[in-house]
Amino acid sequence: MPRSDATEARRAWLLIAPAALSVVVVALLPLAWAVRESFHLHDLRAPWLGQPFVGLANYAEAVGDARLWQALAHTAGFAAVSVALEIALGLLLALALHRVFSARGPVRTLALIPWALPTVVAALLWRFLFDGPTDWLADPLRAWIPIVLADLWKTTPFVVLLLLAGLQTIDESLYEAARIDGATEWQQFRHVTLPMLRPALLVALIFRTLDAFRVFDLIYALTGGGPGTATEPVSLYAFEMLLQNLRFGYGSAISVIVFLVTFGLALLYVRTVGAGLLEEER
Amino acid sequence: MAVPNRIAAFALAWLALACGSGGDAEIVIRFPGSAVGAEGELLAEQLERFMAERPEIRVERQATPDASDQRHQLYVQWLNAQVGDPDILQLDVIWTAEFAAAGWILSLDRFDPDTADFLPGPLEASRYRSRLHALPWFVDVGLLYWRTDLLLEPPTRFADLGGVVTQAARRADLPYAFVWQGARYEGLVTVFLEFLGGHGGRILDDRGVVRVDSEEAVRALGAMRQAIEAGQVPKAVLGWQEEQTRFAFQNGKAVLMRNWPYAYPLMEEGSNSRVAGRFAVAPMLADPSGEPTAALGGSLLAINARSEHPEAAWSVIEYLTRPEQMLDRAVQVGQYPPRRSLYQEGSALRGRMAIPLVAIRRVIERARSRPVSPVYSELSGLLQVRLHEALTGQRDPGEALSLAAREMQDLLARKGLAPEAAGDAAE
Repeated sequence: MPRSDATEARRAWLLIAPAALSVVVVALLPLAWAVRESFHLHDLRAPWLGQPFVGLANYAEAVGDARLWQALAHTAGFAAVSVALEIALGLLLALALHRVFSARGPVRTLALIPWALPTVVAALLWRFLFDGPTDWLADPLRAWIPIVLADLWKTTPFVVLLLLAGLQTIDESLYEAARIDGATEWQQFRHVTLPMLRPALLVALIFRTLDAFRVFDLIYALTGGGPGTATEPVSLYAFEMLLQNLRFGYGSAISVIVFLVTFGLALLYVRTVGAGLLEEER
Repeated sequence: MAVPNRIAAFALAWLALACGSGGDAEIVIRFPGSAVGAEGELLAEQLERFMAERPEIRVERQATPDASDQRHQLYVQWLNAQVGDPDILQLDVIWTAEFAAAGWILSLDRFDPDTADFLPGPLEASRYRSRLHALPWFVDVGLLYWRTDLLLEPPTRFADLGGVVTQAARRADLPYAFVWQGARYEGLVTVFLEFLGGHGGRILDDRGVVRVDSEEAVRALGAMRQAIEAGQVPKAVLGWQEEQTRFAFQNGKAVLMRNWPYAYPLMEEGSNSRVAGRFAVAPMLADPSGEPTAALGGSLLAINARSEHPEAAWSVIEYLTRPEQMLDRAVQVGQYPPRRSLYQEGSALRGRMAIPLVAIRRVIERARSRPVSPVYSELSGLLQVRLHEALTGQRDPGEALSLAAREMQDLLARKGLAPEAAGDAAE
């Protein structure tokens, strides 16, 4: 028996190997390379400077770069506002859809259309909606309105679907028990639906926050980060440094910072919102 | 071990055969440039004729993205890899300094080209540190389009904008007096350069010191912003590039437009143009303190410093920049030639271009190249942000420009390109 266990284990490793290898090649190696680049001065536009090791100089420059801080603040603000609205709106719509029994299939499919549309197309659509009739895109604050609206329109359906799936796993008998105990609709929602929905909410939160933090194409096509740099998110700034200014060293440093921030966020979510979950499973 | 060797030998033999089968050509020159539509067809014809004249050289075209930014990115990747593969490069006028400073393109002085006939602007854009690194191929210039049915003569002063131009717009019930490209992109810098020249300022001085915070520059940017605030220029231009301004003008919404020559035939012949036969072009507006200024665009031809056949590459460039080849290009593709002789009395070009030669010649002769700097695009990127902030009311023009100047100067210092301190002290 032990021998067959060992063969089993070896076979398991063999079966995992292609997947593991592709993770290493596609995710870890480029990440390691980006980290390496971030410690070097590597400027394609100024080859006469060479590519010396500069230690933390790129990171030091990043700390003193007002435009980067601004871009980080824009990204955080955008993520907070749009994700909060998406979760709230998504929860409402999911609860409503959960009650509808006739034609649920077609309605769900229809709701997914905005989500299935390429982001650039959606962004251009919203740009044309706002570009002619208003001059909001030239206003540093109001330019955010079409951006957030477009993001809501596009990604709320995704949240709805996730939460709807969560709602369907809740045992109907829990509600019956609650009703027998005399719980009101609100109490049922507060003490049955919400706690039972927590895993789905967590997944929606993590996916949406990380996505919102990497926002690029939507803003690139809608405002290009303008007016000035008033709506520039950090990924657009990194893109500009890397692929337009061709400063690979500094651009990589920014990318590493973005990676650390999103990684930290994901950890935070799992520790806080997900903490109870893990215990329950145990 | 023997098998791979045999395969290699076979591959080599096959390669030799494949190369030999192309005719007698011994030298292959690769040329990745604009190859779309009429432009591509014309270039193919011209290269055929060249190869008939020089059978020992075979020129192969390579497809490249037509968008200038993307071509730039591709070129930079190739040249960084230090391969001699594309022999000839089609440069945008703002790339010369960058490519020359990096040592990616050859100085053409060794071929002793005759440049007497070339216009000064394009020639300046082909030089870096007084050495010629490219030859002008075709030019583009910023033009002032004006409505001949609404104005008696083209306005010349910036003051006319609030005067006769606004009056004409009001009389004819047009919503705007003037439209230009105000989105945050390279086009905004070209428009600013023209306003700046019109007020007597410049972006970099001859020593390479940043001058965008000069009094003239603040006045130029102030005038741009004031025109928006006064409603002479729509606030929407802050998101407009060339095409949106053309649509506004050709739909009869504005008295004046700043645009490149490409718009002329489109508005003259286009079936949905409402201004056909009712507009003309003139030099840009200017103050008494400045002079009418046109931003210069267009393409140059250069040789990869690692090309294995620089002489053959040069003969291709020399052929393509001959007057008769430029004439073909102008007539068939509508791109204006950078040679003086083609604009003179009796030139075969007369009457064959969309824009009357006399009108455009006055502008082309005065066309000003953008600052010649190896880090021009980064300088421009910094300037674009601050210009746009000022135009969208996020900062005062003076504050925006002094920030831009400081950032641009810092950038030059970081790249080891700052003008020498001694020069500054001597001031």
